[in-house]
Amino acid sequence: MAFLIPFAIVSCAFVIYPAVEAVRLTFYTKLPFGSTLTFVGLDNFRDVFADPVFWAAVRQTVLWTLASTALQTVLGLAIALLLHQRVRGINIFRGLLLFPYLVPTVVAALVWRWMFNPEFGVVNAGLRWSGLVDGDIYWLSEPRWAMASTILLNVWKYTPFVVICVLARLQSIPVELEEAAQVDGADVWRRFVHVTLPQLRAVLTVVVVFRTIWTFNKFEEIYLLTRGGPGTSTFNLAVYAFEQATANLRLGAAAAAGVVMLVFVFAGSAFYLRLVRQEER
Amino acid sequence: MRGRTRSGLRVWLIYLALSVVTAVMCFPLFWAAVTSVRPNEEILRVQLIPHRVTGAHYAALLGGRRMYFEAATGYQPSTAPSQHFLAWFANSVVVCATTTVLSVGVSALGAYSLTRLRFAGQAVVPYLSLLGYMVPSIIYVFPLFLLIVELGLADRLPSLVLGYISITLPFSMWLMCAFLKSIPVEVEEAGLIDGASRFQVFRLIVLPLALPGIIATSVFSFIVAWNDYLIARIFMNSIAQLPLTVGVMHFFEGVHVDWGLMMAAAVLMTLPLAVLFMFVQRHLVVGFGAGAVKG
Repeated sequence: MAFLIPFAIVSCAFVIYPAVEAVRLTFYTKLPFGSTLTFVGLDNFRDVFADPVFWAAVRQTVLWTLASTALQTVLGLAIALLLHQRVRGINIFRGLLLFPYLVPTVVAALVWRWMFNPEFGVVNAGLRWSGLVDGDIYWLSEPRWAMASTILLNVWKYTPFVVICVLARLQSIPVELEEAAQVDGADVWRRFVHVTLPQLRAVLTVVVVFRTIWTFNKFEEIYLLTRGGPGTSTFNLAVYAFEQATANLRLGAAAAAGVVMLVFVFAGSAFYLRLVRQEER
Repeated sequence: MRGRTRSGLRVWLIYLALSVVTAVMCFPLFWAAVTSVRPNEEILRVQLIPHRVTGAHYAALLGGRRMYFEAATGYQPSTAPSQHFLAWFANSVVVCATTTVLSVGVSALGAYSLTRLRFAGQAVVPYLSLLGYMVPSIIYVFPLFLLIVELGLADRLPSLVLGYISITLPFSMWLMCAFLKSIPVEVEEAGLIDGASRFQVFRLIVLPLALPGIIATSVFSFIVAWNDYLIARIFMNSIAQLPLTVGVMHFFEGVHVDWGLMMAAAVLMTLPLAVLFMFVQRHLVVGFGAGAVKG
């Protein structure tokens, strides 16, 4: 029992206290250079909900989360199936394909800014060389392309997560199932749809829930690449909250946006826990 | 005979697909490495294989020299030239290592007592931990900062350790619970009957058995701490006190962007994680298997 004391103290002070404090802050306003908090009731929420940028951020968060998660899941599933093949040297490919997941977000953002540089970047050079586009694409300074770039970065970095989870499950499926279907004359596609996919349903559900929540929460992947710009066109809720707190010095409004995020996250987590209980039963 | 040629073709198609996917996924890192060794005069021309190779960017970062176009343009970097790179690197190593030791130590003890002893509300703690690592850091980073200011730790490295623990602790607790649950209680009971104390049992029986799990949890904690930008950005201010992530982003300030220097920094920042990963790859599978990876 005594072993639990350090954990209890540390988690109360540095995890639970800040979270509770964040909720409390939504009812207060703090002057930039004073340390006193003034109670303002629900004003922060009213301000945030009246802010068109907030609603734009909500829409962009939804777009960014759905597009990223969908692409990651489909790509991750495909790559996992490819890595599940028994050919010589497959472990080298497995190791290499895991790598993007390890790369710090800051590094990914640096490399992205360099590769997607409109004048000197390798991406535009490649597109021009292949004749697909004529001029330059302004990847990070045109709203549509900026959003696409952030999604691409996110998909690149986190597809390996899906691969790892799906591959782990694939390797625990008994080979006999597949072989039996083969004997019965099912072709590759049918074997995938009727034998493999049902086995993967549970792990895919968990992966999608986790990825949705984490992608929804992401801050650095967007902020470091585009700073939420051009303008506010790649703001998600985390970037919105960050800007409220740092640029506008409105901690209360930032906390209010944070609590809105928290509602989404709790809904997602509750959904996940229900799935886990169903599994256990 | 026909069957064999068909399967031979199949194997080649698999290799082809694997090579294409790997090439695409690894290209950004390849490109960073290539750019980092190209001389500044040529860097803006795209060449897949560099004609000339230089170590100047690495020398500038590791030698702590000021480079940054000074000779060519007389431009004086005002904020964060490359000379701080080594200090940032050292800061990151020290802070992340301390964070890892503390958060894994605390959560190993905590998880042990959760999975072995009985008390009310026991089952709730792992789920609360899970919730804890679903909560986005943007929510608690500002209240946490206010707390750090009150403790008088703002802009000092210990504040980073505390901040990082707030991200790593919930998730290492969740992982440690999963690992310790899989160790049979009978072994420990045998130890207790033989007259060992609880702590002796923990140290001599549980810890060695849980070692793969502890290694996996440590590596994940280290990676998460190493990758953080947000907390350090809010907590730290002095240029020499920054960790790598925030420091390196300062390279974008100023009139010129020195891409070679930046890509060299990117490579050097990734290297420790790559080395760490290669050493413990086997153990990591255990961690992924436990189904809890922060991302």
